[in-house]
Amino acid sequence: MRKVALVGAGVSRFGVRKASYRDLIWEAGKACFDSVPAVKPKDVEGLVVGSVMPERTAFQSHISSLAAEALGIRPSALSARTEHMCASGTVGIRYAYAFIAAGLADLVMVLGVEKLNQPAGEEAILNMGTGVDREWEASFGLTAPPCFALAAQRHMAQYGTTEEQLARIGVKNHTHASKNPNAHFQKGATLAQVLGSRMISSPLRLFMCSPITDGAAAVLIASEDRARSLTDKPVWIRGTAQALDGFQLTSLHEDYAHWPALARAAQSAYRMAGVTARDVNVAEVHDCFAIAELIAYEELGFCGKGEGGPFAAQGRSDYGGDVVVNPRGGLIGCGHPLGATGVAQAAEVYAQLRGEAGARQAPDAAIGLTHNNSGMGEHVVMIYGRDAG
Amino acid sequence: MTYFRATDPFPLESADHTKLHEFYTRLAAGRLATTRCAGCRRLAWPPRAFCGECGADRFDWVDLSGEGTVHAFTVQETGLPAGFQGPRVFAIVKIDGLRVFSILVDADPAKVAIGSAVRLSPLRVADDPGGSARWLPAFRLA
Ligand SMILES: [Zn+2]
Repeated sequence: MRKVALVGAGVSRFGVRKASYRDLIWEAGKACFDSVPAVKPKDVEGLVVGSVMPERTAFQSHISSLAAEALGIRPSALSARTEHMCASGTVGIRYAYAFIAAGLADLVMVLGVEKLNQPAGEEAILNMGTGVDREWEASFGLTAPPCFALAAQRHMAQYGTTEEQLARIGVKNHTHASKNPNAHFQKGATLAQVLGSRMISSPLRLFMCSPITDGAAAVLIASEDRARSLTDKPVWIRGTAQALDGFQLTSLHEDYAHWPALARAAQSAYRMAGVTARDVNVAEVHDCFAIAELIAYEELGFCGKGEGGPFAAQGRSDYGGDVVVNPRGGLIGCGHPLGATGVAQAAEVYAQLRGEAGARQAPDAAIGLTHNNSGMGEHVVMIYGRDAG
Repeated sequence: MTYFRATDPFPLESADHTKLHEFYTRLAAGRLATTRCAGCRRLAWPPRAFCGECGADRFDWVDLSGEGTVHAFTVQETGLPAGFQGPRVFAIVKIDGLRVFSILVDADPAKVAIGSAVRLSPLRVADDPGGSARWLPAFRLA
């Protein structure tokens, strides 16, 4: 297989945006092309668009062609949309990776986009129920918060994890987001604010949850030769893996504090990259809720099982700790425009490994990780390197 | 009504729409049922018309006891989808060795605990577009 690298990245402003679905595509596409002036839209051979629910939020299908036309891309090697709920963006990156590694394309854009906010706020939440099983779960009014709350309840019961430890993750990610001009939230948050915010689904409070956010992100991915001709600092895709425990809540590990699929995905991505958890300098993990980041520390191997609470409270996932987790502010601080999230994670690692992350820069970042999930039962892990490996 | 792209949050339960209609027929009569694979005899939850273990598509309907215990729960207070009210108690109920996801109706959240005994309490929801009654397998504290 050929080596594959990121050669450009850009994100739109995330938030409750006064913007159409297509506006967001334009913004992310523009930012991505601006990051690599040697590439014009006509040079791009393929496009993969991660987008979950434009059928409901924009009454629109046929997404990859819409985005290609909006950006002036005329795909000759690959054009596809990935819908894989919250991990749609990273799943799109995996497709582009595979096409390029196999020699079927040399330069592909992966774009993630979601326009979740609707004129009626309650409709936006209703739409989120499409990500769980309609017949056996969503018909009861289930959306993501109670799922992850069940995991938090189990983690607290089994390991003594506290609300304050969960809140520390909210504080960290809101604080990181305050240094990210594209983040949904810009004001930071104190421990008292997080612990005093309203209860969403016990024990998860508002500032421990990602909001309903509009946004888009794009990356350009290239074969080794093309990458070296376009930039002197490609960011290499060193490992990629995906694993599934199940779709319905009742198909997952009996104890929701355990996410075996994430451990499996992490181990196979590390193996492919030839690195271990200890080598990771910067990680963008899927903190749709604070408990998800806490469990990710454990399943990714940053700490032992059950140690995620103290790991967060001791600052080991922050600047000056073992690994800088979610420097852009994570899903809690940036928001979670489903299809855009995984691509925005990749864009952050791209900036971090090139030393271009400004106020958010993790010192001497050489190995970066992204973790994107679709519910608690399915996980995608990518390992990126400053060196081709 | 507020501008909205219309949607029906409940499954279509009648024989015209699903191989699993027997589940809903029994539920309307107050019984909780599921499928047992005719090939490998595996008991499934939720019921299914194809066995992912042995590949058979033949199955028998089996009544469960309708009485179980709370394995895990959370109380959602805000942020529920349109048409659903908080506080809402979501629970995983253990019943006859199976794990069933559901809600607890008419439950005081302060009285719910892991291990609480619960029993089936079929919940009637909006009729389907053809006017047939629809039910969901909800529970209440026993
Ligand atoms: Zn079978």
